[in-house]
Amino acid sequence: MEDTLLSISNLVIGYDEPLSDPITLTVGPGEIVAVLGPSGIGKTTLLRTVANLVMPLGGRSELHVEPAGGLGYIPQNLGLVRHATVAHNVALGAGVRMKWSFGMYAERRERVMEALAAVGMDHKASEPVRRLSGGQKRRVATARTLAQQPQLILADEFLSELDDSNATAVMEAVFPLLTKGSSLIMVEHHEGHALKYATRIWELLDGRFSDLSVEAWKERQQGGETE
Amino acid sequence: MKIRLFVIIGALSLLAFLLLSDLADGDWGRFGGGLSNLVVFFTESMWPPDWSVLQPRTYPACESTVDITCSIGYIGMVETLKIAFVSTILGFLGAILLSPLAARNLQSIWISIPVRIFLSAVRSLPSLIWAILFVIVIGFGPLSGVLAMTFYTVGYLGKLQYETFEGMNSGPIEAGRAMGLSSRAIATNIVIPENSNHLLSQLIFMFEYNVRHGTVIGIVGAGGIGYYITNYLKFLQYEKVFALLILIFVVVIIIDLISFFARSFVNEQGDVRRPTWMNLLLKKTGEKSPADAAK
Repeated sequence: MEDTLLSISNLVIGYDEPLSDPITLTVGPGEIVAVLGPSGIGKTTLLRTVANLVMPLGGRSELHVEPAGGLGYIPQNLGLVRHATVAHNVALGAGVRMKWSFGMYAERRERVMEALAAVGMDHKASEPVRRLSGGQKRRVATARTLAQQPQLILADEFLSELDDSNATAVMEAVFPLLTKGSSLIMVEHHEGHALKYATRIWELLDGRFSDLSVEAWKERQQGGETE
Repeated sequence: MKIRLFVIIGALSLLAFLLLSDLADGDWGRFGGGLSNLVVFFTESMWPPDWSVLQPRTYPACESTVDITCSIGYIGMVETLKIAFVSTILGFLGAILLSPLAARNLQSIWISIPVRIFLSAVRSLPSLIWAILFVIVIGFGPLSGVLAMTFYTVGYLGKLQYETFEGMNSGPIEAGRAMGLSSRAIATNIVIPENSNHLLSQLIFMFEYNVRHGTVIGIVGAGGIGYYITNYLKFLQYEKVFALLILIFVVVIIIDLISFFARSFVNEQGDVRRPTWMNLLLKKTGEKSPADAAK
């Protein structure tokens, strides 16, 4: 595995106008980054720019992952195919890194069921996604990423609609992937979830970007409260 | 916002009214005369419909045990349905291959624009003109009708499909693109399943459209019920024409009901299972009716 999965240099994010000052950083294997900040500040735009879905206004963002399947992306609306079954959605992730062979289908099916079992959704494999609740859809999106086994996961508020026990269950399902060296960058509104799991915090506030350790971020918050 | 909407609708209505006045040369009296002519034509020439079109024809002699299957109405309608079915399926296959290439959110403009131009070119000729061309090239008969409507279906359905694809939620496409799926995999595994509800609806609409247009292309000798309608029109047998038009109307209504039923498998409506009258009346053996269950 590469030592650096993502390198960003002087990146300026935004659509027409810059949303933050230039950002420079790297992300290595096994990191869990929580992106925090108020609504509309540019957290999703940052994630979409890293995923190469939005052109940056300046600077560079480079992914050092495999082109096919190296990056997993869970958008805010989860990006699930609503009219297809749960298994079909997870199979999209499972199949992306597989080379075609006669045994591919059996292997893919096995990987799909393993991923669904990890998030407790194996009993819903043949159900259309549109019939699931919001929390179940989040678990399916997580299973799709688990089946894909990407090196870097970009997740936009994928824990936000879950209660504490479900958020813990989803993160526990993701942890084996992270211990193998994959990294997770998640945009979170729920600070409790973010602080529980993150090893690093990116904060966007009033057009300023800060890259902090969890302890440094907590100290800064306490300092702000006492002032 | 509401006031602005009313102003826009009012301005468009006024423009349409002015254009209509221009087209009618300001002679509004023609509309009144036309209406009375229509009433006279309907009551004296078309009414009552002549249902002899559903009786077995005298020549060639009927050899079937079911008489109606030898009637002009049945033979014409079945041929029209066959033409419409084959051309809709072939046209759908052509369109579903081309429309993902024409969608701007799936392909670059270097691919999408030429495919759009091709679809526009195919669509710019109405099915009637395609029918005339194919009658000239391969002769009279249903085959010309099938080819004519297949070409038109590719152009028409292709446009409906790529506009549907472009209007879909970008989330699933972005997730697929970010994870490294190819354009072909995104089209076949994400875009087509996600829009299956619309695609099915468009497919059935196109079948219904082709059934209705099957009557028109028959006029130029491309087969179907239109061939018989033209013959009856030539001999001023408007009662028979009216009977065949009612037959087409009934078939179109049936297709619409099938569409409603088929779409329920792929949309949220179908997920809400309500007891139907059929289920209540034809309960399975050993199953209690709601009334019995309440006792």
